[in-house]
Amino acid sequence: MLAQVLFSGLALGSIYGLVALGFAVVFKATEVFNFAQGMFVVCGAYLAITGISLLNLPFPLAMLSMVLAAALLGVLIHMFLIQPVAGQPMLVVIMLTIALSIVLRAAIEIIFGSQGRTLNTPLPSGVFKIGELRISQLHLTAALVSWGCMAAFGAFFRFTSVGLLMRATADSHEAAVVSGVNVNMMNRLAWAIGVVLAAVGGLFLGQLQIASTELETIGLLALPAVVIGGMQSIPGAIVGGLLVGVIEQLAASYISPKSSDIVIYALLLLILMVRPWGLFGQRELGRV
Amino acid sequence: MTKHSSVSLKPAQPVSWQRWVWVALAVVLLCYLPIVLTDRAIFGVRLSNMQLLNIGMSQVNLMLIAMLGALSLNYLTGCAGLISIGHAAFYATGAMTAAITGTQWGWPFPLVLAAAGLAGALVGTLAGLPSLRVRGLYFVLSTLAVHYVVVYVFLEYQFKFFDVVGVPYNAASIGPIALNTPIRWYFFLLPLVALVYWGLSNTLKSREGRVMMAMRDHELATTSVGVDVRILRLKAFAFSSSIAAMAGALYAYFMSNATSEAFGINFAIQFIAMIIIGGMGSLGGALVGAALWLLLPSIISGFATQAGDATGIVRLLLVEHKAQLVQMIFGVLIIVLLIFAPGGIAGIGHKLRHRWSAGKDAS
Repeated sequence: MLAQVLFSGLALGSIYGLVALGFAVVFKATEVFNFAQGMFVVCGAYLAITGISLLNLPFPLAMLSMVLAAALLGVLIHMFLIQPVAGQPMLVVIMLTIALSIVLRAAIEIIFGSQGRTLNTPLPSGVFKIGELRISQLHLTAALVSWGCMAAFGAFFRFTSVGLLMRATADSHEAAVVSGVNVNMMNRLAWAIGVVLAAVGGLFLGQLQIASTELETIGLLALPAVVIGGMQSIPGAIVGGLLVGVIEQLAASYISPKSSDIVIYALLLLILMVRPWGLFGQRELGRV
Repeated sequence: MTKHSSVSLKPAQPVSWQRWVWVALAVVLLCYLPIVLTDRAIFGVRLSNMQLLNIGMSQVNLMLIAMLGALSLNYLTGCAGLISIGHAAFYATGAMTAAITGTQWGWPFPLVLAAAGLAGALVGTLAGLPSLRVRGLYFVLSTLAVHYVVVYVFLEYQFKFFDVVGVPYNAASIGPIALNTPIRWYFFLLPLVALVYWGLSNTLKSREGRVMMAMRDHELATTSVGVDVRILRLKAFAFSSSIAAMAGALYAYFMSNATSEAFGINFAIQFIAMIIIGGMGSLGGALVGAALWLLLPSIISGFATQAGDATGIVRLLLVEHKAQLVQMIFGVLIIVLLIFAPGGIAGIGHKLRHRWSAGKDAS
């Protein structure tokens, strides 16, 4: 029982970690606390539906077009919405992302209808057993792909020159501008990465459940994940995502299914009171 | 935060007689409005539904209740500079207090309202406690967490004592007068909104209010002149949430039923949307924002009944996806306002008036 719960918790947590990673990349680059990340998850699920069921593309091509469309969405959002409000007070930026998620939700419900849709992909969906442990292949695939994406982006930030420039931009805008880095380009790239990661999460969440705009609430679990892990920390986002997944599954099976949200948000409140900079974040020092 | 706060900081001046004429005119109009909306006619001249913009009395009453929420949130966010995405939690607190005292213990309605206000102040103080330790973004998140906690408590309470249908509420009555018609509700809610508006705007002109806005604009400078901003924050939080809780109790009584789903995160977001549309830091703006938010959906529904035979995209939008269309309009409106006019409608009005009076002086 416990092993089963831990397995599904870790698998779901990997997806949350992926979504949270996208969130953290955007936050580090542009300091935008993105409440629309949950909606980007929904967008991913519906982009996959468009590619696979509506356009009847072969699966790899559908995935490729989903990733490209998501990246384009991120770039457009940064160009037309985020850049004009750069430097505005926090509430303006937060509310902008909330309004964006309202618009995206309405658009999706108008285009695809408010009913949920099933998302069918050729990904393996059977179940195999290791001893008592029933392992769903879809969960396993989701976890593996999530880890693959995380590793790929970790390597990208660590080893490539563009990744280095992105890290430098996130570290200090002014210094990057002075050194001749195209800061807007870097930020657009960060938004594209953020949306793509959420969309990949949406692909799996939409398949594990039914693709509907309700997925937003699940996608928004990335928020507590990021804060618990530490907002400025990339590994923190991943660990936070895993923690949220495991805690959610534990609470749902040992306390009650309704209680999973509250346990996570209570933990968030606790972390905010005790260690606001999160498990892996760096303590922010206030200067006068 | 916002530079244009339309709260006048000038010392109180003797009120001119023109002002009294305007106030009297507004009172007369507001008293005549429900008669127009109920009879669907002005001085005996029948008006079609569309001429009245498809607005009914229950919309107007809901709008008045929402105005209380928007006013209190604008006081907290626009004037004290504390962003809260947990305002629905205080509505839920009020509704739950009303359920315990009104439905379960059978207290009379005015007493229930007072209890809701007290409970709101208490929960608000608790919810404001994280502000002693964290600020900015982290504080916003703590209000989000508080929201989930309070709504969960409401959910558990609802399922323990009632069932999935929701909490039923008694018919509201003040002494011998039962609030059983929309017009009676209107004449109960209208003075209440006016009272809250008057109270808040006077608070903002008092020493406390000015210090609070100073805290919003520059916390460090305010601290350095000897103000304890921590106490000030808690006070603002308690005051604002007490009003919101009362509005929550009113809402529950008006709807005569409340479920935990009603107070979801979207319920909280609508108040932020109202004050953004109306204008941050402007109490009048909060009223405008709430009015727009509550009345636009029924105006759109009016168009939908008109467009019964239309085909194609109009039908798709107006008839089949009315709710989504409304959401889309609001979402786009908020985005446009945020990018081009961060002061909201109040800010635009302020600018226009400024330009107009400048032009008058020049001529």
